[in-house]
Amino acid sequence: MPSQVKPARRIRFSNGEWMLLFALMTEIVLFCAAAPGFFAWTNMFEVLRFSVELGLLSVALTPILITGGIDLSVGSAVGVSAVIFGMAWRDGHMPIPLAVVVALLVGCGCGALNALLIAGLRLPPLIVTLGTYSLYRGIAEGITHGAVSYTGYPKSFLVLGQGYLWRTVPVQLPIFLLVVAAYVLLLHRSVIGRALYAIGFNSEGAGYAGIPVRKRLALIYLLSGVVASLAAIIYVAHLGLAKSDLGRGYELEAITAVVLGGTSVFGGRGTLFGTLLGLFFLSVLQNGMHLLALPSELTGVLIGLLLLGIVSYDRLRAMRINAKPRIYPLSGARATRSKQVVTVLGVLLLTAFAILLPRFLRTAKTSATKSDVRVATGHRPVIAVMPKAKGDPYFISARAGAEEAARELGVDLIWDGPTSLDASQQNELVETWITRGVDAIVVAVENKGSISTVLRKARQHGIAVLTWDADAEPDARDFFLNQATPEGIANALTDEAARLLPSDGQFAIITGPLSAENQNEWIAYVRKRLAAKYPDLTLTTVQPSDDDRDKAFSQTQTILKVYPQVKLIMAISAPAVPGAAEAVQQSGRKGVDVIGLSLPAICKPYVHSGVVQTIFLWNTRNLGYLTVYAGWLYEQKRIPPGATSINAGRLGTLQMRGTEVILGTPLLINKANIDSLDF
Amino acid sequence: MKEHSREASVAVAIVLLMLVLATLAHGYFSRENLADLFLANMPVMIIALGMTLIILTGQIDISVGSVFAICSVVTGLCARGGLPAVFGLLVACVAGAACGAVNGGFVAYLRVPSIVVTLATMVALRDTLRWKTQGSWVGNLPSNFQWFGVTQQVYTAGTLVMVVLLILLFVLGLRFLRVGRTVFATGSNETAAQIAGINTKRLVFTVFTLTGALTGLAAMLNSVRFNQIPSNSGLGLEMKVIAAVAVGGTAITGGTGTILGTVLGVGLLGSIGTALTFLNVSAYWEKAIQGGIILSAIILNALSTHHKKHANSINALPG
Repeated sequence: MPSQVKPARRIRFSNGEWMLLFALMTEIVLFCAAAPGFFAWTNMFEVLRFSVELGLLSVALTPILITGGIDLSVGSAVGVSAVIFGMAWRDGHMPIPLAVVVALLVGCGCGALNALLIAGLRLPPLIVTLGTYSLYRGIAEGITHGAVSYTGYPKSFLVLGQGYLWRTVPVQLPIFLLVVAAYVLLLHRSVIGRALYAIGFNSEGAGYAGIPVRKRLALIYLLSGVVASLAAIIYVAHLGLAKSDLGRGYELEAITAVVLGGTSVFGGRGTLFGTLLGLFFLSVLQNGMHLLALPSELTGVLIGLLLLGIVSYDRLRAMRINAKPRIYPLSGARATRSKQVVTVLGVLLLTAFAILLPRFLRTAKTSATKSDVRVATGHRPVIAVMPKAKGDPYFISARAGAEEAARELGVDLIWDGPTSLDASQQNELVETWITRGVDAIVVAVENKGSISTVLRKARQHGIAVLTWDADAEPDARDFFLNQATPEGIANALTDEAARLLPSDGQFAIITGPLSAENQNEWIAYVRKRLAAKYPDLTLTTVQPSDDDRDKAFSQTQTILKVYPQVKLIMAISAPAVPGAAEAVQQSGRKGVDVIGLSLPAICKPYVHSGVVQTIFLWNTRNLGYLTVYAGWLYEQKRIPPGATSINAGRLGTLQMRGTEVILGTPLLINKANIDSLDF
Repeated sequence: MKEHSREASVAVAIVLLMLVLATLAHGYFSRENLADLFLANMPVMIIALGMTLIILTGQIDISVGSVFAICSVVTGLCARGGLPAVFGLLVACVAGAACGAVNGGFVAYLRVPSIVVTLATMVALRDTLRWKTQGSWVGNLPSNFQWFGVTQQVYTAGTLVMVVLLILLFVLGLRFLRVGRTVFATGSNETAAQIAGINTKRLVFTVFTLTGALTGLAAMLNSVRFNQIPSNSGLGLEMKVIAAVAVGGTAITGGTGTILGTVLGVGLLGSIGTALTFLNVSAYWEKAIQGGIILSAIILNALSTHHKKHANSINALPG
């Protein structure tokens, strides 16, 4: 009976997706009102373009969650497929199509191992994929030593991730839609799909009903591996590089999208339509926040709260419905539900407004003052500066300088970047800044190969593009603010090590994450310098610290015990120097020195106690100051072509070499001068 | 012995590893190294005790890394504000318990799946911390902050005693206390437990809150080993803790598992990283080896308990 009077809404949105749809609409309306450049076809397509990789993983995860399972290994499967793809192409000299096949096979293998353990041995998916999460990422790191990144793909391949059809539709979008269509057929239009729901609802019961439970489970885990490798290929084409850390953290983001879309982790419930809504909700949120120049951290906070809100609302509703007698007039139920929905949406809107309104008012105010200024002095420039990672103490101290310059010059500063090292997030931010229409973009480049394309695009839009800390390809930017070359840093460190060590001494390096581009470049130059100038010095071991002080600490403890002949630790990541120093101090070993690259503020106690001999750094505050100052100078056309020096405010006259602005020589920081440095 | 077959495989693995290390890695079993190893794994050990209870009741908590970071920073701020260390310890535990209570409340009373709740709090708490601290470290701590103002040896000994007492408390509590038995009952079959008169909601809530408090304790004990506090600590800690519990033989579906297994799991996974350096294995393969160990441990577990898969899980209880 009830099936005959089903309201249209229940047929189309069987899982209450219209609630999320409404939230998405609200979000879009809010951003249209508040975020400059949000409402444009190009921006919409950019949002879609950046959500394809995550979208593929979310789509693959949906049937898995519907069966009550989970796959934490998808992000790692992306990593391992990507590096093997790069390896097959560059080192194996395979043509691209063959390398693609190899990558897909790798993904298939990843999925097959999960399937074997989960469906074959009936082990819990959470634990199996927790193990393979570590295993696949570990294999990717192992075969590349974390360091190799495969770049230099032919244009014909890069089109897959960077090209546009009819100049508007990103090439990867049709591929994504095809996969979605295939999954829709599988999940919502086939016997197998029904079986998956049955398994999620009650796997034992499904078994008794004659469903081949193991076969069905094996199929979806296998497919998830294959789709992950497809995502990897698109990701490589999108960034133009393959590296072992691609896709890190994607598993949790994908699960967030799926769960937000109404799929129950208990299994038995969920739709692909919901997943897509969840995915777009997240991507639009991220895009809008960037366009509004709100800090990226806020996105995480909002996502967390929304996830809690939507899921607990869903549970409350389910509890209330369950508490009632099973059979009830449908119209009555509809009335209560609409009431509840109104409440929830009200709360949602209020939260959104509470967060966005103050900001909106402020933008309104600044745009008012902006127009005043425009009347008086023309245009108040917006300079967007991006660090490699926002939480890094090194970049935090640079920010202080950037803000100082912005105040001095009366420009608007946008300071935003990835929360942890992430090349694709850098691309995404530059894209949103182009959409937003900033006047100058100053980027600390995480990966040369991947960001240059989008920086060229920014230049085509007439935006001044500068790089700092690390350079992009020379034709992708106008100027590079050069604080020190990797070679200069490595040579200074090596010379200092040679000064402190006996001529046949041994030392160890504590680096950041194994896949950190900068650090790997420095290590390469250190080795070169050793071979050229100090053949008797030995670099005994290189150990990762993952930019974690505590890990650097225990790695150093172990090194001191395993290699007692090591008399010097060279720590080349900011948090690693205090970690290594504390370990040396606690070991009570005299005669072991620590040198490295770090910030005075966090090394001060150890420099004073004499454990840390020397740290090298340029004045990061000045560097931050220069980012904004040079951006402003160039944007104001105050740097004539062929200039040999610029006048950078309180920094005085700085030399230029070609298109590079030289900040000065690295600072050698020791007991004598550390107290005079305030960063 | 049969009831301990799950732990047996981990124990065998540890013994094998020890044999290899004793013959090949000179100095691995020195007192100094063991003390360092203990301190490095102490946070994981303490949190894993709580996590074992959570997993035994059939839930999971992936927010412990973020809670750990928050408690560390809170500890530092208290110390810098001039509060004595004991008070800081209390504040850290309360802060952790509060975060745990939020998780527990959603899981127990709103019946939201624990993985979703803790995924949300993990992201939200971590980003709130990033936003508020902007990544800066808590420095300028008073000189009596490090080691609680006592010597390193006294601190290490004190912490060791504390951890051992905690482990004993958990082992005995699970075995002999009523509430300990209700943990197994709830994890095996929540409906049955409810019908038998167990307040499962309160139990789940308590278990999450307790884990939060333990995370706070671990954060405090870890923070005082240094003289400044980074704001990004505990990244990936949840995976380490859950892996240790799982390797120790606790079934992720709830109802079966032991504290002893967890202790062994922490011991095995915690010593691998250092052991590889001692054995001169390249750091590049560390993660792959860890993943391999987790997988082989659960496969072994599954094979060793396969024949009694359909047996009542209460049989697998100790005692």
